[in-house]
Amino acid sequence: MPHRDKPTVVRPFQFFRAGAQSAANDDRPILVLDDVTKYFDADQPTLRGLNLTVQRGEFAFITGPSGAGKSTLLQLIYRKHTVDQGRILFAGRDIARLTDRSIPFLRRNLGIVFQDFKVVEHWTVFENVAIALEILSMPRRLVRSRVSEALERVGLSGRGRERTENLSGGEKQRVAVARAIVTEPALILADEPTGNLDPHLAIDILTLFEEINETGATVLFATHDHSLIAKREHRLISIVDGRVVEAQSGLSSWPGQRNKNNSGLHAVAG
Amino acid sequence: MDFKSAVTRARRGLREERRLYLVAVSSLTVAFLCVAGAILTMQNLAEMADRWGRSGRVTVYLRDGAQGEDVQRLRAVLEGLSETASVTHLSSAEARAQFLEHADVGADLSALPAEAFPASLEVTLVADAEPERVDAIAARVTEFRAVQDVETYRGWFDRLESLLAAGRGFAFALTLLVSLCVVAVIGNTIRLAVARRRQEIEVMKLCGATDGFVRGPFVLEGTFQGFISAFLAVALLMLGFFLLRPRIDVTFAALAGMRSVFIEPWLLVAIIVTGAAVGALGSAISLRRYLTV
Repeated sequence: MPHRDKPTVVRPFQFFRAGAQSAANDDRPILVLDDVTKYFDADQPTLRGLNLTVQRGEFAFITGPSGAGKSTLLQLIYRKHTVDQGRILFAGRDIARLTDRSIPFLRRNLGIVFQDFKVVEHWTVFENVAIALEILSMPRRLVRSRVSEALERVGLSGRGRERTENLSGGEKQRVAVARAIVTEPALILADEPTGNLDPHLAIDILTLFEEINETGATVLFATHDHSLIAKREHRLISIVDGRVVEAQSGLSSWPGQRNKNNSGLHAVAG
Repeated sequence: MDFKSAVTRARRGLREERRLYLVAVSSLTVAFLCVAGAILTMQNLAEMADRWGRSGRVTVYLRDGAQGEDVQRLRAVLEGLSETASVTHLSSAEARAQFLEHADVGADLSALPAEAFPASLEVTLVADAEPERVDAIAARVTEFRAVQDVETYRGWFDRLESLLAAGRGFAFALTLLVSLCVVAVIGNTIRLAVARRRQEIEVMKLCGATDGFVRGPFVLEGTFQGFISAFLAVALLMLGFFLLRPRIDVTFAALAGMRSVFIEPWLLVAIIVTGAAVGALGSAISLRRYLTV
């Protein structure tokens, strides 16, 4: 049976209220997962004693076969779920111990992008992006300029008035990326963001995330698309059987599997 | 919660869900119309009771064989009171004739002797006579030698008061019932709106929206539904009342000798404010139960 410690209740961290800048101006690792275990089924943990450290400004692929726990890992970071064991330190703070009231303040420091875009179809492009700033009670004028900048960065400049339902899949994903970066978060979580896109668009979106990473944001990019991973020299975090298996790059098969081509495998992290 | 942002999002919600809200507002308007109608009826009954209570009359029945001097002295005393408008002496024969003129009991009563009808002094009171003061006068008048009995007609007034009390209870119960209906209707409307806007709620939550930020527009939408329904009900009642007033007043004049009255302005404001408050309550209860993203 899983060991379930009752989490200690803590008040909302001032840090999380302060917004992205305070999270960015720190020299601690942006993310530390320490012996993290998560059960959905009592007999079969999805993540088991997982250890991982992500430094500021890193770009890392999170990969593994379907059902390996990639999405679960990201969901634990943005506190959709709570860990059953272990701790997750985001900029030094244990997010597993946050009260429900503090979770919104954690998420304001994160940018989250999903495979199914999660854009509001009947809203305009502007409204979809601006909502992230309205939540921060930002003045209207500043919202307009920041949204305009974000749309320019994702290649949708001047298209703010278009209804999102009229956009293509790739464009919708760009809207989602714009929404994720408009608040300038310290950490961007991308959960299979290219899963619904054709290979050409997938490369475009990946390049977009790399450009965002170059501006200083840390990016965790979950994907099971080998062809995409093989094209880039980034840190590779593979999840196999609920544990992290790290590989550097040049991967052509899942780390942890017996294959003569898995030369990129260099460490078993936990 | 940023109020301006909540208002903007509530306006968008009302626009997008206008059909849903139109149905809800229509039914709520009918419900509020029932309450406002009950209040209007109560207000007119209260006015009638007040008028009867204040502009009543008193009959002082004289003993058989009362001395003319005593009657004259009594009449002078009554006429000297500030509450008295006029005093009329009614002899036994006049009382009998008056009774036979107005009686409609389906029997031949002409054989009744004049002695069966005591002579009396009919006292008409001024419009502002306080019922308590009239009771006090009646008690003092009874002590006069020539007086056999005094009728203040307070029994009728008391019966009307009882009717009014029952009516007030009914109006209160109706208000409670309608409030529950409003809470249920608005709660269900908001629940449907939440279900239809689940995707945008999820997006907001993922972007770090607090519960207050997400709930704010829904509470405003519920408040607006309650407000507009109560306002429409009051407006419709007012329109109906003033259109029908000439006919109503004919009946009222015949029944109570008065004109009908409309609900007092402060009460109209109270109905509208209560509508808005109940709307807010309904949406808040619904959100507490169904907003789990």
